[in-house]
Amino acid sequence: MNKKKTATPKKRSKSLSHDHTHSEGRCMDLFRQLSAYIDDELPADICEEIRRHLGACPNCEVFIASFMQTVTLCRHRSAPELTSVDRMKMRRAILTAANAR
Amino acid sequence: MLPRLRSSHARFCFQKASPTSRLYRDHVDLIYRYAHRLCGETESAKDLVQETFLNAYQGLKDFRGEAKVSTWLYTIASRACIRMRRKRKGEPEHELSIEEFVPTSEGEFRLQIPMGGLSPEEAFQNKELREALDQAIDKLPRKYRMALVLRDMEGLSAKEVGTIMGVNERAVKSRLHRARLFVRRELSARGITEHDNQRSGGLRS
Repeated sequence: MNKKKTATPKKRSKSLSHDHTHSEGRCMDLFRQLSAYIDDELPADICEEIRRHLGACPNCEVFIASFMQTVTLCRHRSAPELTSVDRMKMRRAILTAANAR
Repeated sequence: MLPRLRSSHARFCFQKASPTSRLYRDHVDLIYRYAHRLCGETESAKDLVQETFLNAYQGLKDFRGEAKVSTWLYTIASRACIRMRRKRKGEPEHELSIEEFVPTSEGEFRLQIPMGGLSPEEAFQNKELREALDQAIDKLPRKYRMALVLRDMEGLSAKEVGTIMGVNERAVKSRLHRARLFVRRELSARGITEHDNQRSGGLRS
């Protein structure tokens, strides 16, 4: 019998910054969580810590800006479309190959 | 929902189309777009589309509808892509580690992508930026490229991507994060300037 799944609380990641010193460790914590942060997958208190860290660490602030720009560009990169002639030619080629198999 | 078809004959043909015809008609554009993003060029993308639909036609009778048709086709296309690239290039798969993307100097931290307040559409008028992005994605090891294409470009959820790639959500997120870091480093290291943006302003994709 399948057990009913229960919601588990999100694991807390290591605290990013409380004392506002910018040791490599805190920047690394942010570095590891950047995608989760911009994809809105982190608990509110961790997001708040990240925002505080960003406000006090210009390097991380600049880095995250370029990271977000990268994701924005990927999301907006268009792909070429098929022409109706290509669509028809491919369909014919697929049917020929399917009959030959 | 049925498209608006003018004549009753067109409506009749549309409704009477065979399952394979409908599958092709409804999904070929989606699969071609995905194939082009994975392969990076037209001819390989067309080969991949053909291989995908050939495999799909063979498997259609066994498709029970547990997943969305599009998810099923993405899965077939992804597997076909792995087989085709292995045959063509014998490309070795290598792992990307987070550590290799950690900036080691302030200069590296501060490398920028030349968007300068532009919208993505305006930024893509820069041919060099378009090419740099395409090349960066093409340079990604396959499993990272797939995660990035499916999640950020095709807009699927991490769960769907996991189903397609046969891994859990955690693995999808880990691959996606490394892929984004890789592309960010490639783009910012190219030294594309806003001057290039203005110079190639007339070029559109």
